[in-house]
Order: sequence, then structure tokens, then C-alpha cells
Amino acid sequence: MKLFTVIGQYLVLMGNVFTKPVRRTIFFKRVVDEIEQIGVDSLWIVSIVSVFMGAVLTLQVAINFEAPYIPKYLIGLSARDTMILEFSSTIICLILAGKVGSNIASEIGTMRITEQIDALEIMGVNSASYLILPKIIAALVTFPLLNILSIILGILGGYFVAVLTDVVTVYDYLFGLNYVFVPFYVTYSLIKICFFSVIITSVSSFHGYFTYGGALEVGKSSTRAVVYSIILILLFNLILTQILLT
Amino acid sequence: MIEVKNISKSFNDQKVLKNIDVIFEPGKISMVIGKSGSGKTVLLKSVIGLHMPDEGEIFFDRREFTKAKIKFKREIRQEIGMVFQGGALFTSSTVEDNIRFPLDLFTKMTKAEKQKRVDFCLERVNIKDAHKLFPAEISGGMQKRVSIARAIVLNPKYLFCDEPNSGLDPQTAILIDRLIREITIEYNTTTVVNTHDMNSVMEIADNIYFIHKGENWWNGGRDDIFYSDNVELNEFVFASELYKKIKIAVK
Ligand SMILES: Nc1ncnc2c1ncn2[C@@H]1O[C@H](COP(=O)(O)OP(=O)(O)O)[C@@H](O)[C@H]1O
Ligand SMILES: [Mg+2]
Repeated sequence: MKLFTVIGQYLVLMGNVFTKPVRRTIFFKRVVDEIEQIGVDSLWIVSIVSVFMGAVLTLQVAINFEAPYIPKYLIGLSARDTMILEFSSTIICLILAGKVGSNIASEIGTMRITEQIDALEIMGVNSASYLILPKIIAALVTFPLLNILSIILGILGGYFVAVLTDVVTVYDYLFGLNYVFVPFYVTYSLIKICFFSVIITSVSSFHGYFTYGGALEVGKSSTRAVVYSIILILLFNLILTQILLT
Repeated sequence: MIEVKNISKSFNDQKVLKNIDVIFEPGKISMVIGKSGSGKTVLLKSVIGLHMPDEGEIFFDRREFTKAKIKFKREIRQEIGMVFQGGALFTSSTVEDNIRFPLDLFTKMTKAEKQKRVDFCLERVNIKDAHKLFPAEISGGMQKRVSIARAIVLNPKYLFCDEPNSGLDPQTAILIDRLIREITIEYNTTTVVNTHDMNSVMEIADNIYFIHKGENWWNGGRDDIFYSDNVELNEFVFASELYKKIKIAVK
């Protein structure tokens, strides 16, 4: 029963979020600010994680494909496809749920308990739309770019392994990268990350927006934001994969 | 003029406000007093629609507010200035930007005009040299004053203050009180102030509403307090030795 109340509350909030902004110039400035906070500030973590995961993936696959009858180019191919299909969308979003999600929930939660949201409302501002919509848009703009970046850096990580170790030759790795490339996989990855962007930003905003109490409750909201975002990402990953790939 | 008619509000079976009837007049300071937890903040927030009352009606100059559409509420809210208990300044914006914010949203002023208005409001609350600082970088008293400046930037018809001098030293508190008084007279605002500070009441109250356990328990003027034999009011007002002595002296 409580689940339905929460879903209802969430939908009502989203109804308030997706309304016409008061002033276009202010709205634009808010989006730019959020792009910086949500997207640009995540560049480092995404980059580092992607390079290392690409490298480790390549190493592990290479070690598991030791048998002489398995063609070596499969190493490059599987590094590429793993990055595109799963890592650069789902895993990166699980990481972003932790970083961006907790950030959003504690920011909005703090604004709630210090009455800054009330202050917005009393000025005649639609606080939900003013605070949340720019975050959703910023994530929708930046996360797909982070997705592409992650794919490229992951593949590059694998390339470093090919160059620096002898588990696979550079020639085999590059050949594998180009072997039966399915462009739709990239589309699939981008579609997924668009859904995840909305999940992370809206679910985290929701938990922040409905915080009552003090600093302790802000912490709890922040944790809930991450947990619910992760669960929903995993659920939607399953659903979208079922719909798009099978 | 704000007319509050028969407002009640509960939170999960706890009746916080019980059939409150009050009238707040323009150019006057109406003070809502009562113990912590008596429902002052809930009353204020119900009047301006941050809480939805369970029953009752509220009229802002004869315009029904409680059941109005959110769009209409937002229009009326642009005529409301509010000073929150903690100041509620936007922590990520400078003092100046906090005050400019309503101007950016709701006026067609040029940049220069806005700056002039911001400077004027800050001047009005006696703040100099803090334009570019962030709320965390200024004292509590200054935060309250900035909050007042932000509340008056759009020339509000209605001014609400929730415990405007809580957490301030007595001298700063009096400055804030006087500022509220001056603004009320200057702009003829309908001013409502929540407080449990009797000094404040004696300093600036025109009408007093004593809220006890969510009920409008006693109304009157500043001087009436000394002659009332309302038990709960007396317990509240004359809790301190100082006020006990004053009462004896008055009598
Ligand atoms: N959002 C809320 N949810 C539940 N209870 C609340 C809420 N806001 C206030 N209350 C309760 O209402 C009562 C009155 O609170 P309040 O109006 O803040 O008192 P005060 O007179 O000190 O301002 C308190 O018992 C408080 O716990
Ligand atoms: Mg209060």
C-alpha cells in the first residue's frame, strides 16, 4: 500500500516539475550550472573507472581465452561489446547514482529543512520545477556524452594492455575492435543511459524534496536516494534489454 | 487586511490548530505569541498556503486564498514577503543575488535598476560591505537583516516574520524589531510576527494573539496584557522574574 502512495507522490511531483519555467534566461542559467555540477564534475571519476575497467576486462578475457583454438581477436571484440552493452551505461550509472544521486538528495534535502524551498514557494516560484527540471535536463545532456567517453576510454584501456603486455597483440586487439561491429549496440547503450539519467536525477530529487526533520534525515534521504536509484536502474536495465535486444 | 476564518490543521491525528479566527490589519503589527510547539509556525504557514488547512478560509484583501488555484496563489504570494525563522537565505548565492532573485523572476527592470533596488534594500536594513559575501560568511543578525531585505524587495503588501529575533542578542533583536516596525508604517504592510519573546511584544506589537495548544486563547493590545486575568496568558507572559516585577509595578 505504502509503495503506491510513494509512486503517487513521485508522479505528482514530476507533474509539478515538468511545467513551463518562469523566465527562460534564469532557467538557462540554472541548466548550465547543473551541467557543470552533474556532468563536468563527474568527468574524472567516469574517466578513471573506465580506463581501468577496460584494461582489466581485456586482461581477464585474454587470460580466459588462452586456448589456441580461440581466435585472439575475440579479446578486442569482447572488450568493446562489454563496454558498450553494459559497462559504460549500467555500471557507470550505478557509480553516478552514488556520486550525483547522493549529492542531489542532500542538496535539496538541506534546502527543505532550512526552509529555502518554502522561501522559493512563498516568492511565487514553482520550487519543484525550478530546482529539479534543470537537473534532469543537465543529466540528459551530459550522461550520454559520459557514456560515449566511457566507451572510448574503456577501449583505450584495453589498448594499453595490448601495448604494454603480451597477452594480446595490438594487431589482434584492433582487428577485434573492428570485427562485426553492431552500431545498434551504441544506440541501445544511449537509450539506456537516457532512462538512467532521468531515474537518478528524479528519484534523488524526490527523496531530497520530501525530507523532514534535521541533518540526520538529510543523510537518510541521501542514502535512500542512492539505494532506490540503483534498484530502479537494475530493474530498467532488465526491462530495456528485454525490449531492445531480444 | 488578512481574514483568517475558522482554520484547523492536524498532522497525523495531532490537532495542531483548532478553529482559529483572526484578522490581521494593514499598517499594524499583529503578533502571534505562544510557547514553543503551540502552533505559531503552523498557523503562519497555513495562512500563506505552505500547509493546506483541513478546514476554514483565508482572505487576502477579500480574495479567497485557501481553495484558490496554485497559479492564483502564486500571484498573491508575489505580494507576500516572508522572513523565515532561520533566515532561509539561498546558501549558494551571495547576499546581493539573494535579494536580486525576486527581481530577476518577477520584474522587467534593467540590470542597473535592479542593482539600485538591491542597494536600496540593503541600505534600508543597514548592511554595507556585505554585498558579495555568502550567507555562511555573515553573522546571524546580518542574515536576518538580509532576509528582511529580500522580503521587502518587491514592496510586499503582506509581511510575515517567523521568530525574527530568535537566536539574536537583545540589542540586535531590538534593532530587528524596530526595523519591522518602521517598514510596516512606511509601506503600510499587513505585518504578522510570530514570537515567544516578550521584549519584542512590548516593543512593537499592535495586536496580540496568544495561541495556546492550537487555540486562539486571548487577544488584545500591549497594555491589556497587564490587566488580563487569563491564567495561561499570565503564566506565559509573566514567567520571568523581570516581568513579574513589571506587573506589580504597573498595578
Ligand atoms: N510538518 C509537520 N508534520 C508533523 N507535525 C508537525 C509539522 N509541523 C509542525 N508539526 C507539529 O505541530 C506542532 C506545532 O509546531 P509549530 O507550529 O512549529 O510550533 P511553534 O509555535 O513553536 O512555531 C508541534 O507539535 C509540531 O511537532
Ligand atoms: Mg515556530
